[in-house]
Amino acid sequence: MRRKGPMGWLAHDVTHRGVTAWMLTIALAMFYVVLYWGDGPNGVNPLDKIAWLLHLGRPGQSGAKWTLYGTLYTLAVTLGGIGMIRRYGHNRYQVVRTMVVVFVQSTFAFSVPLFMKFAGHPEHYFSYFWPLKMYYFEPGFIRSNPAPLVLWSLIGSMVLVPVLGVFFGKRWYCSWVCGCGGLANTAGEPFRALSDKSERAWRFEKITIHASLALTLVTTAVVLASAFVPGNHPVLDLYAVKFRESYALIVSALLSGVVGVAAYPVGGTRVWCRYFCPMAAMLGLLQKAGRFRIRVKKDMCISCGMCSNYCEMGIDVRSYAQANESFTRASCVGCGMCAEVCPRGVLTLENSRKRDPQEQLVQIRLKR
Amino acid sequence: MARRILIVGNGVAGVSAALTLRARDDSAEITLLSDESDYFFSRTALMYALMDKLPRRAMEPYERKVWDKQNIQRVRARVTNLDADAHTVTLDDNRTLAYDILILATGSAPRPLPLEGDDAVREGRVHFVTLQDLDACERLVHSTARAVVVGGGLIGIELVESLLWHKIQTTFVVREGWYWPAALCREEGAMVADHMRAHGVTLVTDDEVRAVHADANGRVKSVQTKNDKTVACELLGVAIGVVPNVRWLSETKPPPALGRGIRVDERLQTSLPDVYAIGDCAEVIVPNKLDANGEAKRKVESIWYAAKRQGEFVARGLSGAHERYAPPRFFNSAKFFEVEYTTVGDWEDIPEGAESVLLRLPGKTVSARLVHDGSKFIAFNALGSRWDTPVLDQWMDEGRSLEWVRRHLHEAQFDVEFGRAPLRKMQETVLEARP
Repeated sequence: MRRKGPMGWLAHDVTHRGVTAWMLTIALAMFYVVLYWGDGPNGVNPLDKIAWLLHLGRPGQSGAKWTLYGTLYTLAVTLGGIGMIRRYGHNRYQVVRTMVVVFVQSTFAFSVPLFMKFAGHPEHYFSYFWPLKMYYFEPGFIRSNPAPLVLWSLIGSMVLVPVLGVFFGKRWYCSWVCGCGGLANTAGEPFRALSDKSERAWRFEKITIHASLALTLVTTAVVLASAFVPGNHPVLDLYAVKFRESYALIVSALLSGVVGVAAYPVGGTRVWCRYFCPMAAMLGLLQKAGRFRIRVKKDMCISCGMCSNYCEMGIDVRSYAQANESFTRASCVGCGMCAEVCPRGVLTLENSRKRDPQEQLVQIRLKR
Repeated sequence: MARRILIVGNGVAGVSAALTLRARDDSAEITLLSDESDYFFSRTALMYALMDKLPRRAMEPYERKVWDKQNIQRVRARVTNLDADAHTVTLDDNRTLAYDILILATGSAPRPLPLEGDDAVREGRVHFVTLQDLDACERLVHSTARAVVVGGGLIGIELVESLLWHKIQTTFVVREGWYWPAALCREEGAMVADHMRAHGVTLVTDDEVRAVHADANGRVKSVQTKNDKTVACELLGVAIGVVPNVRWLSETKPPPALGRGIRVDERLQTSLPDVYAIGDCAEVIVPNKLDANGEAKRKVESIWYAAKRQGEFVARGLSGAHERYAPPRFFNSAKFFEVEYTTVGDWEDIPEGAESVLLRLPGKTVSARLVHDGSKFIAFNALGSRWDTPVLDQWMDEGRSLEWVRRHLHEAQFDVEFGRAPLRKMQETVLEARP
């Protein structure tokens, strides 16, 4: 039951797909449309003008909109992070995780690239790797950047990401480092319960996210082939350009921006992460093979449903908890909120090689 | 012909029985009866619905399509009569249903509180046990500025927390000297009381509500306590415990043997042929123990885990297993606002002379209490941190000594990462185990 009064109505309405939630979604979607496709014939975006007014770029400088966007994004993560810590201050995992997420966003994903830009160097995002940032794998990037940057991106993508993924699961990236996850787990917090928990959504997710990963792999392969296969292959080069362009449009702009963020008030915070992010798909596969899991304390679940409701990835955590089944799901980003909201302390996140015998003994999981 | 299995009550006991049966018997005709709800929902989630943290639908542990897929019929009706000789039950819409096996899982009902002036009250007096109670609370909270909740147990504090969330000034009246003496020692009760007060609860101990007054419209306007204190309120929550919901059975012919609940044997069968009882309404035998009259000791395990366990047990028995039901050692956990609570041990059976070692973290609502009978670790209570209950239970099975448990205590911690309660910093007091 919502709280009394107009503020009570608003708090409920905006977090329960009410009129205000839809209005917010439309507003966010329009913002992204203007950001990506709103450049005028002279190359000036209305958001550039706002950025100039706020001294976020020299008047006349194009691309100032990105500085504005980065500032707003970082501000949202920081303010949301403060709210998060105030609300869950009693939970050290949430406090530490939120502080790291805010730190990474405000440094590696915002101020460091900004300083690089001021210093006249092309900006570089140290917290993003292939396949999320496909560009860092491309010949164009490798040829034109200093060796340390190239090495960081290559070693990060090829070694750091998979190794940490095996040891700590997806969470070290998705819930501790990534900016998309960062926004979801800070400013997006009030909307986390809106994720679809149905089995149907789970089936859909398995198709879309792996399709997205496949598209990423194909695009990377075509781009690399066009650069490194000896000889002249105009068709291949054409496809490389086409794939890159459509990837940038569909995945980067449409899915991670417009759909990903604008859907918060109506579809929950992790629409992009759950259904489309190629990095999440890859880390999810590693997670299934790795050590991370959610441990369920035996016989203690009261099926209240708080864990499932608060799972932003739409995992029906309760179905495992009430069956006494410790589990690893590819989509779990390890935000730890199921363990936090559980009124019986049934769940815990762990990175453990040990598997208790209880896990083999699946109880009344329903026949499907 | 397929067995007709009729289950009265779609709470966790009845539903666990139905699902376990279905997993072992494809052909049985299983029917779940309920007069409360169309679909199984989690009663333990009532407070979260009242606090707008859970939509109603999320209180249902299974997707709705499950019942058709599992081929379990659901009937919304109240059973008014039972004819064990004819193997039929009568419903409140006068239908008669025949059964081969009847499982009674009617749960419990709020313990009534006789109050002066109750007859004049038409609105504003609630319990917090059923979906209909939730409806009533939701109808009332917006027109309530002040509330009184009676009863020092779990349901009471859950209702208090929910009302406080609605910014209702709440007075919590506890009959005993401190909050929940059945589960907490005086020191623990004081810690929880401080936490409640910090959240704005007005906690009144050593007092009871004696009378209720209503306004001209029949809405609660104040209560009066035994100590003659008058507290103005628009809502009175009564949460002084629950009793097995068996009264309707005493009028059936013949009725099953009744004690506090429906008496069942070690297969959970009642005194009537082909009639079983499980969950909060059942009174089970505690094997190898005698009560004060020298008869087999019995108990009503009115808790979620037991209902689920008994439901699964009866279903296994009906599909061929030969087991004898024995209530395991008691365990539970809960949350008092943010303070987590864990308990393991049969607190009713703590022997004379047993001792408690209370470990407390200075300045925090964090404590752990180890109870031993001189040689063995027999019970455990903790506030403000999480514990791996099965591990503690195992140590009690193994008869571990107090010293051994203290050395290994960290192995049973279940706190979140980075958030382990620092056992080394905890200060120790020795108390009598029984308050």
